[in-house]
Amino acid sequence: MRHIAWNWFVASSLLLGALALEAETRPRYGGTLHVTMRAALTSLDPADGSQPDSFARRSVTALLFDTLVSVDESGHVKPALAESWQLARGNQRRQFRLRHGIRFHDGTPLTGEAAASSLRAANPSWVVISEGDSVIIECDSPDPAPLAELALSRNAIVKRDADNKLIGTGAFHVVDWQPGKKLSLAAEEEHWSGRPFLEGIEIEMGRSFRDQMTALELGKAELVEVAPEQTHRVSQAGHSLTSSAPTELLALLFTREASSPEGKLLREALGLSVERGSIRNVLLQGAGQPAASLLPTWISGYGFVFKAEADLPRARQLRDQVRTIPAWTIGYDGSDPLARLLAERVALNAKDAGLSLQPSASASSDVRLVRIPLAASDPWITLQELAAQSGLPAMKSKSGPTEDLYAAEQAELATGRLIPLFHLPASYTSSSGLRNWALRIDGSWDVANAWLESAKP
Amino acid sequence: MRGAVYNSAIPETSQKSVNNAFCPAFVVRVLRFALLLGAFGPAVARAADWSAVEQQLARKIVAVTGPGAVALTVENHSSLGRRDGDIVQNGLRSALEQAGIHLVKAEQSAASVAITLSENPTSYVWVAEIHQGAGAASVVMVSVARSGRSSVVHDSMPIALRKTLLWTQDGPMLDLAVLEENGTPARIAVLTPENVSLYRLQSGKWQAEQTLEVSHTRPWPLDLRGRLVPARDHLLDAYLPGVICRTGAGGVVTMSCHDGDDPWPLVPAGGSVNASVFPSAGSTSKTSAAIPPLAAFFAPTRNFFTGVLTPAIGKFSTVPKFYSAAFLPREKYTLWLFAATDGKVHLVDGVSDQPSKFEWGSDIAAVRTSCGAGWQVLAADAGERSSDSVRAYEFPDREPVAVSAAADFPGAISALWSEARGDTAIGIVKNRESGSYEAYRLELVCSQ
Repeated sequence: MRHIAWNWFVASSLLLGALALEAETRPRYGGTLHVTMRAALTSLDPADGSQPDSFARRSVTALLFDTLVSVDESGHVKPALAESWQLARGNQRRQFRLRHGIRFHDGTPLTGEAAASSLRAANPSWVVISEGDSVIIECDSPDPAPLAELALSRNAIVKRDADNKLIGTGAFHVVDWQPGKKLSLAAEEEHWSGRPFLEGIEIEMGRSFRDQMTALELGKAELVEVAPEQTHRVSQAGHSLTSSAPTELLALLFTREASSPEGKLLREALGLSVERGSIRNVLLQGAGQPAASLLPTWISGYGFVFKAEADLPRARQLRDQVRTIPAWTIGYDGSDPLARLLAERVALNAKDAGLSLQPSASASSDVRLVRIPLAASDPWITLQELAAQSGLPAMKSKSGPTEDLYAAEQAELATGRLIPLFHLPASYTSSSGLRNWALRIDGSWDVANAWLESAKP
Repeated sequence: MRGAVYNSAIPETSQKSVNNAFCPAFVVRVLRFALLLGAFGPAVARAADWSAVEQQLARKIVAVTGPGAVALTVENHSSLGRRDGDIVQNGLRSALEQAGIHLVKAEQSAASVAITLSENPTSYVWVAEIHQGAGAASVVMVSVARSGRSSVVHDSMPIALRKTLLWTQDGPMLDLAVLEENGTPARIAVLTPENVSLYRLQSGKWQAEQTLEVSHTRPWPLDLRGRLVPARDHLLDAYLPGVICRTGAGGVVTMSCHDGDDPWPLVPAGGSVNASVFPSAGSTSKTSAAIPPLAAFFAPTRNFFTGVLTPAIGKFSTVPKFYSAAFLPREKYTLWLFAATDGKVHLVDGVSDQPSKFEWGSDIAAVRTSCGAGWQVLAADAGERSSDSVRAYEFPDREPVAVSAAADFPGAISALWSEARGDTAIGIVKNRESGSYEAYRLELVCSQ
C-alpha cells in the first residue's frame, strides 16, 4: 500500500514529541557531548567543493557557522543571520539585512561586506555586494533559485583570516582540530540565538558503525550513527533509534553518458531488473524505500509516479533490442560491507536480464554504487544539488510549478546516468543521558538545544 | 527517546479508493450542495478555495483524454483529513464532468484516471496518472500551497488541584500576572521575551491595552525564563536574566528596563517592607501569614538562580544553584525548598541543608490554602510521561506527602510561579499538539 504517510514532517513531530517526553526537567548547562561519525572530514570549510557532502559534514558545519536564512521543519525559510530581506525586480535583487550585534568567534563584527565576501567565495558566479549592514545578491536570470539555497551548508558565512583560518559565528568554536580524526569544540557564550547548554563537543571521526555502537555501549559516546541495515537490530536491542525521513539517494551512477540509444536501452533494462523490494527486505533489513525517482515523494509530492517494481520481462525485452551487450564493471566503496553486498545483488539481478555486470572495489568502473545525501529543502534546490553532485546536466529552471519540477526530473533521469535504487534515512542512536537533541530536515543532527542529564552546572 | 520515530503514518491520513460508478454525478452535486449549505462550515471554506485547483487539474486531464468516458479513482495519501479529502474528491468529479468527461465504470471506459492526493512539505500535490490503451501512463499534476496548522485541551485525594486556562498565544510566553480581578481575572499582564502586554476583560473579551517593550542588550539565554511581580506603588516589575524592568507610576503605563543583576523576589511582594502578607484564600479564620522576604540572584546567561540569597536563611547566604524555590512556614522558622540543578530538592531551614531523595521536576511553588495543613507545595512531576503534570504536596516533617492527584497538562511546563495573592500559582505550558503557549491558574480546592 503506497503511503505518503511516512511524511518527513510527521517524523519530525513524532521525534519532537518523543524528545519532549523526556524533557520534564529544565535543561542543564554544562558537560561535554561525545559524538562519533564514520566520515573523516579533512576540512571544515563549508565551501570546499573537494569534500563530499554528508550528513556528518552538515552537522559539523552547523555547529561552527551560521547561514543567512534557515529552513524549518515545515520547509519554510526563516531568518538566521539575516533578520529580514526584501526582494526586488522580480526576485532578481535580494537584499538581506543582517541581525544587529553579531560577532565572529574572533570578536570582529559581522558586517555586510564580510557576509558578501563569504558568499562570493562559495559562489564565484554570483554577484554579491554589501551595503552597510546589508548583503545584496543580484541575479541575471528571471528565474533565480529559491531563497532556501542560502540555507545550504556551503553558503554558511565564513570569515577567512590572513592565515586562511576559518572563523564562524556559530554556537560553538574550534578548540582543537585534527583533520580526519578529532574535533573539539567549546560553547560560544555570546551566540546570538543563546548560549548552548553544552559546554563542549568532542567529535571522533572515521569510526566504523560497529566501533560507534561499542563507544555508545561503553559510555564513551552519547550520540552515534547507525547504518541503515542495522536500524532494526539496534531498535530490537532496546536502544533508542532516531531516523530522519529518507534523505539519502542510493543509486547506480554511470561514469559516462550513454553513447547511443542502445546504450540507454540497456541502462533502462538494468534499472528494471533490480529487485528493490527483496533487497530492501534482506540486505537493508527493511530500512529505506525502494525508489525509481531522484526525489523522494515527501520532497516532491509525486515520487510514486516512478515505479520502482522490477519488471524482468520488460528488461529482457529491452536487452533483446540491442545486439552487442557490453560487460560493465560496478564499483563500490570497499570500506562499506553493505555496498559490496548490494553491488553483488544488483549484478545478480542484471544477469537475470541478460546483462553483464562485474562488481569491483576499484576506483574506476563503468557504473558506481553511490550514496548521495539530498539537500532536502526546497525540491528545486534538492534536484539542482543532486544533479550537480552527480554530474547530470544543469537544470534549465530553478523554480516553478510542481509539473515543471516533474519534467525537470524526468529529463535528468532520461540521460540514463543515474538509476535510483533506494531512498535511505539518516539514523542515529543516543544515550539516555543526552536530552533534547533533534534531527534537521536534511538528516543532520542538531544539538543547539541539547543538554546532558549528567551535567553539573 | 524510545524506538524508531520515523515509521508511523500520519494519524489523520485516510486512504480510500472511490470508483465513480458508485457515485453518480448528481449524487456528487447534491452532496456537495449539502456540504455547501453549511453542514461543514470550515471545511467548505477550504473546499471553495480548492475549486480553482480542482478545475485546473480537470482541464489538464481533459487535455490528455479529450471529452469522453473515463474511469476515475481517487486516493488520498496526504495529510488531508477524511472529510476534506472527500470534499476534494467530490469537487474533482464535478470539475471533470464540467470539463466534458463522463465518469463510468472501468470496463466501459476508454481511459482510466488515477488521481492521488499527495503533498510535499509546502504544498498539496494532486497527481493524475492517465492510462489510455497499452501505452505508458501520462502524468499531469497541480499543486496548491498548504495552509498553516490549526490548533486545539479529580480524584479521591483530600485536595483537588484545579487548573483554569487564562490565556493562550502562539508565541513564547514566560509568565502571566493577574493585575486586577473581580471574582475572575479582569486585567492581566503577559510577559514574552520581547515585551509585556496588558489586557483587560471587556464585555467578556480580552482587549489589548498596551504593549511595553522589554529592551535588552545581550542575547537571551536558551530556555529563557522571566517573572512578573505586581507591585503596590507601581503596576509591576518584570525580571528576566540580566534585565530588570519596572513600570512607572501614573495613568499611562510606561516601562523602563536596565541591565542588572538585582535579585529576583522569591517571596512575592506583599503588604509591608519587612513582610509579605498572604491572604488565606477561602479560609474562615481570615488569618494572614507573614513570611520574611527573600530574594535570589539569577544567572544572567543561564536558566537558574546562582544560589546566592538575600538576606540569608539562617546561616545560609548561599544554597546550591536552583531552578525554583518554595517555602513552608513552620512555627518558629520557614522551611525552604530549592529545586536544585543537581536534580535534588534541597530542604534548608537555616541550620541545615538537607538534599532530598524524592524526585520532582525543576519547577515548584508554594501556595497557602485553607485545606489540610494550610500550606502546600506544587511540584511538576519528573517522570517520563506523555504529558507533564503538577501535584500538590504537604510536608508533615521532611518527607513530602501527596495531597492531590496529578493535574495533567498538554505539554511541558516551562514556568510555575506563586501568584502575589499567595493561594494560587501560574503555570505556563507549551502545548505539544498545537505548539501554542498556555497560561493556567492552579488552585487547590478542599475536597472534603
